[in-house]
Amino acid sequence: MSNLEIGIASFPVLMGLIFLRVPIGLAMFLVAVGGLYAITDGWTMALSRLKHETYSTFSSYSFSIIPMFLLMGHFATLGGMSTALFKAAEAWLGHRKGGVAMASVGACAGFGAICGSSLATAATMSQVALPELRRYGYSGGFATATLAAGGTLGILIPPSVVLVIYAILTDQNIAKLFLAAFIPGLLAALGYMITINIYARLHPEAAGARAPVPMAQRIRALLDVWPVLLVFLLVVGGIYLGWFTPTAGAAVGAAGTGLIALAQGGLTWTTLQASFHATARNTAMIFFIILGAAFYNGFLALSQAPQELATWVVGLGLSPWTILVCILLLYLVFGCLMDSLSMILLTIPIFFPIISQLDFGFVELAALQAEAAREVLAAGVPEGMTSEMLGRIEAAIASGQELSREMMRALDINITQARANRIEAEEVAIWFGILVLIVVEVGLITPPVGMNLFVINAMDPKTRITETYRAVMYFVTSDIVRVAILVAFPGITLFLLRWLY
Amino acid sequence: MHKSVLAVARGMAVLGGLVLSALIVITCVSVIGGLLNKLAHGALDWLAPGLARWMLEAGVGPVFGDTEMVEVGVAFVIFCFLPMCQITGGHASVDIFTSKLPDRVNRLIQLVVDLVFAVVLIVIAWRLFEGMQEKLRYNETTYDLQFPIWWSYAASLSAACVAALVGVYVAGARMVEGLSGRVILPRHEGPDG
Repeated sequence: MSNLEIGIASFPVLMGLIFLRVPIGLAMFLVAVGGLYAITDGWTMALSRLKHETYSTFSSYSFSIIPMFLLMGHFATLGGMSTALFKAAEAWLGHRKGGVAMASVGACAGFGAICGSSLATAATMSQVALPELRRYGYSGGFATATLAAGGTLGILIPPSVVLVIYAILTDQNIAKLFLAAFIPGLLAALGYMITINIYARLHPEAAGARAPVPMAQRIRALLDVWPVLLVFLLVVGGIYLGWFTPTAGAAVGAAGTGLIALAQGGLTWTTLQASFHATARNTAMIFFIILGAAFYNGFLALSQAPQELATWVVGLGLSPWTILVCILLLYLVFGCLMDSLSMILLTIPIFFPIISQLDFGFVELAALQAEAAREVLAAGVPEGMTSEMLGRIEAAIASGQELSREMMRALDINITQARANRIEAEEVAIWFGILVLIVVEVGLITPPVGMNLFVINAMDPKTRITETYRAVMYFVTSDIVRVAILVAFPGITLFLLRWLY
Repeated sequence: MHKSVLAVARGMAVLGGLVLSALIVITCVSVIGGLLNKLAHGALDWLAPGLARWMLEAGVGPVFGDTEMVEVGVAFVIFCFLPMCQITGGHASVDIFTSKLPDRVNRLIQLVVDLVFAVVLIVIAWRLFEGMQEKLRYNETTYDLQFPIWWSYAASLSAACVAALVGVYVAGARMVEGLSGRVILPRHEGPDG
């Protein structure tokens, strides 16, 4: 077998192992070791890589953001922030049709802003919101489905662990990805609230009513969420303003939530130990997958399979949009089987080379040049520019033609095709990352194996899982509509980025 | 037996958590120091020059080599966290297809997985030992702090050895379970975060 064939054959073997319930990280690790053995005809290569690869994977400054964010999520729970968020959202939204469910989604969005994990957000908010939802007469299926869907906001709204991993895998700027995720995250929360409203109208018996809360009380409830706001602004704002790196931001966030939890009396030696236990479990799980994926991707790169696959797909001559939609559909299917993190680590090294070779036409050289030229001219015509040259430049801008080298020299700008390509590549990478993030999250709430559904359903023993399944389909529909909108209008995802950078 | 191994895993998790907390504190001090330093060079220099000069002379600024400390520390932290994940069955896996299979088959799969996992953890520890010796031989140090890298490997190795031992214990416990039918370990739980 050639190296390429070994690389391609490794994929079904890997999937087979994973479907036999071999832990995903272990499966990738084993296939990589076996694959390296087959390619290099011996154990030497695999064993010598192992000497330093485990250590270097675990000692990454960028990846150290993960245990910090996980710890931050636990501290946020201990600090009673979930309760404050839910109370505030309930005070403002509770009296509407399906209002308490809307409040749960709103509180999930708020909690997602300080917690980077979906399951943690869903589980934490459920402890607060489920009893309230049941008290006001919401049906079990509706209540659990709302919280399972709301939990996915934890990953979408920055900070997000999965987005950090995507950024590292594809060599993108974490701060820019966080920024790009912001609007889609808010759209998701809005979409869920609309869904709740529709559901409550279609099934009036599933949602109860609640009396409105007086304005003074609403404002007081809103003021109670200041710790959440403070931590969020500090972490996200600090990262954007360049005060600190994303890792330092995570450290500041963890310290901040820890102090708040301490001040609220939620942080004791016992709860601190419990936080460490849970953080340890999840961190180790994530890092073992990262290790397996790093090893597997190293092997894949050696086999040339991703490059060949990308060349082949591009050679098919399909429209980039068709390829994108196919990939997203694949993610939807796989998302029903696997957790989002494993899926991203497994597939991005294969799909990203394909996507990065496609031309979506986001950036046009002429438009980019025209924009820069207008900026220069707005500040006044540069010295030494002849009126004839000015006329030619203006004509070129008006007709949408590319500027010549001579014109650019006269304007003192330098925007080449290479620069336009770089900008396009970055925009596509960020946009694709957000789309993938959303579709894998849909998998978390898609029956039959959406993980959020199980976690939340288990917290409400009286509700059968089939009831949750039925209600959650409304939220899945809302998700799919949102993905379609974001695919059709990349500007929604990219506009904050273009505006601020 | 199970109780004491679980206690070891928990102890390692707490140790790792404490080191992680220390790294968080160092990073925060560094961030605050960096901001104050900028302030002393900027606005404060203009508002209160004496205070600004005093701050700069006192060495207010980012912690020297903070990134390296995080890198060195976090490797140890992750290795400390491995035993906890191992003993509580926290590794992510896909059980949609196997859930249809009879219980005996599932137990067999679990046994094989845990045996292989133990071997892999031993191999990781062994290779880490080899890697450490290489770093020791070439006397490699970190760039800023001139910290010998093999120290960090050694710390990680000690935690990796505990992880390997816990892995062996889990595999052994599964074998005893298979032979005697007693339940020692909790059933596979999957990730919870």
